[in-house]
Amino acid sequence: MTTTVCGRCKSSGAVTDHQGRQDGAVVWTILRCPTCNFSWRDSEPARAIDPAARSADFAVDAGDLQRYPKILQQ
Amino acid sequence: MNDLPNRARSISSLRDFLELLEDSGQAITWSDPVMPEPGVRNIAVAASRDANGAPAIVFDNITGYPGKRLAVGVHGSWDNIALLLGRPKGTTIRELFFEIAGRWGDQEAQISVVPEAQAPVHECRIEQDINLYDVLPVYRINEYDGGFYIGKASVASRDPLDPDNFGKQNVGIYRLQIQGPDSFTLMTIPSHDMGRQIMAAEREGVPLKIAVMLGNHPGLAVFAATPIGYEESEYSYASAMMGAPMRLTKSGNGIDILADSEIVIEAELQLGERELEGPFGEFPGSYSGVRKAPIFKVTAVSHRRDPIFENIYIGRGWTEHDTLIGLHTSAPIYAQLRESFPEVTAVNALYQHGLTGIISVKNRMAGFAKTVALRALSTPHGVMYLKNLIMVDADVDPFDLNQVMWALSTRTRADDIIVLPNMPAVPIDPSAVIPGKGHRLIIDATSYLPPDPVGEAHLVTPPTGDEIDALSKRIREMQLGALS
Repeated sequence: MTTTVCGRCKSSGAVTDHQGRQDGAVVWTILRCPTCNFSWRDSEPARAIDPAARSADFAVDAGDLQRYPKILQQ
Repeated sequence: MNDLPNRARSISSLRDFLELLEDSGQAITWSDPVMPEPGVRNIAVAASRDANGAPAIVFDNITGYPGKRLAVGVHGSWDNIALLLGRPKGTTIRELFFEIAGRWGDQEAQISVVPEAQAPVHECRIEQDINLYDVLPVYRINEYDGGFYIGKASVASRDPLDPDNFGKQNVGIYRLQIQGPDSFTLMTIPSHDMGRQIMAAEREGVPLKIAVMLGNHPGLAVFAATPIGYEESEYSYASAMMGAPMRLTKSGNGIDILADSEIVIEAELQLGERELEGPFGEFPGSYSGVRKAPIFKVTAVSHRRDPIFENIYIGRGWTEHDTLIGLHTSAPIYAQLRESFPEVTAVNALYQHGLTGIISVKNRMAGFAKTVALRALSTPHGVMYLKNLIMVDADVDPFDLNQVMWALSTRTRADDIIVLPNMPAVPIDPSAVIPGKGHRLIIDATSYLPPDPVGEAHLVTPPTGDEIDALSKRIREMQLGALS
């Protein structure tokens, strides 16, 4: 079953953006985390999308989004 | 295939070029079922291993994307670049370099205009319920990218403060991260044309509309990827460098676009808004950080029937990105150096967009190569990118790393290198202690001249020149003939 927990920031509530079909059957779903904007396909290897298997180097801290710089400031 | 230059000049679209590549054994169709991840990435990386001869790969059976086509590696090898320039497979990198350097500033632009109703790019039009995921067979390019990226988009825009000026239209390659079905973020920096235009639009509160072209005339990506003057049209420039016409039409939102592109996404900047973007596996072979980037809302999509989505593998080299922009990174540095120093005979800035450069120069006097190196650091590209410079003699081919290593091994005196501390640097260099600042290294591997102590050894001078080049080619042909 498709999880709606983000593999990157562990927030819940991901939205479904698209489903891929093959011969009428859904073969994968693309989800997007509204908190950190991570997008993923539920058919991807666990090390890319499962928070338990994913490298902490690529985690995003949902509690501290202010730390990420804004580009092109006047 | 005996008329390669004319065939190259007759290319007007990605489809034309794929046909030429296929006729030359330089494009293959991957019809076995493949998962978007990690299948597409694995195949693209495997192809990148052969920088000289890799074919373009067209996927037509990606699981979950029935009927959709994806092309990667279109510019992924020197043989493909050679065919684009009207030269045969097997043309050396040095010859390709001089092919491009010889076209610099020499040719006239030929721009023709196609009415929108007749432009192939407008064959199909989507103005409602836009879903980029339904149009593009996207996949995660590197495994920790923050989302699904469009890595080979040529983005066209008008200057928001001077929208009627053709010359001030910008066409550049920027990375786009899809942010939901009808939105994407665009990464740029203030010094790039698009960065200037975004900041101007937000400062003045005026709209900024753009057209994202995918699957384009293959000359545009080569010649629009390196910055030229702000008021010089990239279309005119690409046409002049290709020695061929560029067919333009208008996008639905009024921007000049290529008439024969596969797909055009029309979009508008959401003034002042920023969304989290990244990371993305970039050309130095490292991931960018996560940042808040400008976001665009898609207003319409045009595409040819059965469009081909062209994308790129970019990451730790060697990748298509290196073959795509390498020669056209090198040629302007060469031209700019030659204005002051005609002793410069070739420039190789192929590596990571010129983070390492190799310059061949005939020493006018002892130490002269170092003077040339300092001039290279002050060229437009050198200011940020040329981090390591290796200076070699004029009779060393800087594109032949065996010869460069000979020069390093036998010409370098370790007390005769220069480190320039605390210089500007491209922020994306993963070796940076402080991103945006760093040291420059100049290694003088040229021969010694008095008053340097020259030493007693005399160099061997093996035969070189056209006769040896011809013999080398004949040997290769005899070898290939023995197989057939």
